[in-house]
Amino acid sequence: MVESIGAPGSQASLREANSVRIIEAVRLYGKITQVELASVTGLSPATVSNIVRRLQASGTVTTEATVRSGRRAQLVTLARREGLAAGAHIGRRAMEVHLVDSGLGEAARQHLPLPPDHRDDTTLDRAAMLVTELVEGLGADLDDVLGVGVALLPAASSGWRDVDVADVLGRRLGRPVVTAPATEAAAVAELRLGELRGASCGLYVSAGEDTDSCLMLGGTVHRGAGLPVAGIGHMRVAPAGAFCRCGARGCLNTVVSAEALADPLRISHGRLQLRDIIAAAVTGDRGCQQVIADAGAAIGGAVADVATMLAPDRIAIGGPLADAGEAFFRPIRDALRSRPLLQDPDLTLVAGRLGPAAAALGVAGLALDAAGAAKALEG
Amino acid sequence: MDAPLLELRAVSKYFGGVQALVDVDFSVRAGEVIGLVGDNAAGKSTLARMVAGVYQPDGGTILFDGRPVVIPSAQAALGLGIATVFQEFALVESMDVVSNIFLGRELMTSGLLDTQRMEGLSRDYLSRLNARIPDLRIRLSGLSAGQRQCVAIARTLVTDPRLVVLDEPTASLSVGQTAEVLGHVERLRELGLGVVLISHNLGDVRAVADRVEVLRHGRNNGSFDASTASYEDILSAVTGATRHRRR
Repeated sequence: MVESIGAPGSQASLREANSVRIIEAVRLYGKITQVELASVTGLSPATVSNIVRRLQASGTVTTEATVRSGRRAQLVTLARREGLAAGAHIGRRAMEVHLVDSGLGEAARQHLPLPPDHRDDTTLDRAAMLVTELVEGLGADLDDVLGVGVALLPAASSGWRDVDVADVLGRRLGRPVVTAPATEAAAVAELRLGELRGASCGLYVSAGEDTDSCLMLGGTVHRGAGLPVAGIGHMRVAPAGAFCRCGARGCLNTVVSAEALADPLRISHGRLQLRDIIAAAVTGDRGCQQVIADAGAAIGGAVADVATMLAPDRIAIGGPLADAGEAFFRPIRDALRSRPLLQDPDLTLVAGRLGPAAAALGVAGLALDAAGAAKALEG
Repeated sequence: MDAPLLELRAVSKYFGGVQALVDVDFSVRAGEVIGLVGDNAAGKSTLARMVAGVYQPDGGTILFDGRPVVIPSAQAALGLGIATVFQEFALVESMDVVSNIFLGRELMTSGLLDTQRMEGLSRDYLSRLNARIPDLRIRLSGLSAGQRQCVAIARTLVTDPRLVVLDEPTASLSVGQTAEVLGHVERLRELGLGVVLISHNLGDVRAVADRVEVLRHGRNNGSFDASTASYEDILSAVTGATRHRRR
């Protein structure tokens, strides 16, 4: 990756910037010829050729000879370090599938919108086919895949209570499959590649259709003893409020779920989905900004309670609501500031860095861990 | 709220003794994806062709922006801002991506083709759709079925449309290619366009649609909020197990 960047405007910094553009393009297209790279990035063929040669020497990309439109051409792909892993994040309305190399560098990705209440049989079938297609698209085959990770919603909200995802997909793909809760997977990704790097007590909050959290202590997921940790979404914030899906009353989720945010806007804005509310807030719609600010205040209050008990050195907030930017983050910061015993949020509070890719990348990492552990046992 | 972008009121179409559409109501708003589903011969493609100016209704009214309009030709439809991608899309296999996108609408500068500007715009349309076609000078025959579908959709953007009608865009595509096309539909919605998605695949329709309209034997047979209606509700309307009265 990019280690040193020259002074702004210098020849070296220009070259670095151009390298980044080329790596991004190779990542997006999977396989691409040098001529195509020139046309996609707008760089001259000579520049592309120089940079590709340098990236090849440093082991970032590999090239192979091919034929395009009857001419010889150099096909560029990202170099893979010792095999691949796949991570699939199956969410409420979309599936993200990422292929990574053993260094968690991204090799290919695909986003598939899913219908509401999608069924496990169709969805897992499509997940298996997407993984297979992406692997073939890289010119690799399934034997090169060390492991497959699947990040899932909590069973209570997906209705997949009796489905053994690892078993079903393991049979389809013939590869070892691990599963993890999506929030935990996203937190793992932020720990290894993103904003929780180096945090000794890191709190990750995912704010979207539902709000969930994961606590990282000393670089490992805190799992509690026995039952799984319920997470920040089930902290009581409205004792006289609505009943939650979990059966308790006034959970944070009853106040900040996608439905709860859409409800006060129904008369003025019609039926809105969460992504519509976020998009409208970003472009300046007052009503949408207000409901997002209210959600920020509610989540901020709960985060402040957790922080009071645990004094985390880093709080990373990801998920779709984080895309709303300041409208969402300002009230969270205010909630943290209103507790004088807490550390200044300027030092602790950050937006997640990996966006919608987080859970898929994280669970691919967990799949690599499992593959590594299996290998160690064999050896 | 404003008037719908496109509204059909009690529209009918007969081919001899065949009732292709009978008193059909239909509407699309800007920034909304409407899934149009139904069995074979339910009238889906007839409706698409009527909106595209290919067929004229035998009865009923078509409104665009709340005003009654007639759409006498495909050119008139484009003039209103309605672009349609048909099942058998009109692309030329032996020509490259840019030529296909601008086919019949080539940009000229002082009597010569302005290839540079067309290439630049093509890249812009494709990137608006988050498409992954690296080489715009490759012939169509060298692209996958999914990439061709993407070129067909990008082609609609040349006319700067407000409504895009897609007839069976995911038929005979692999899962990965379907993912790409559904991604393009989401992008069109984000760009604020109205989209009509005609498909046999209820899963694909429910994945991206805001509302699902069912046609059965040329008649309305139900209108469903895609986020709350179940697969079974819609399927039983398609097969006729449930009959829905007109609203």
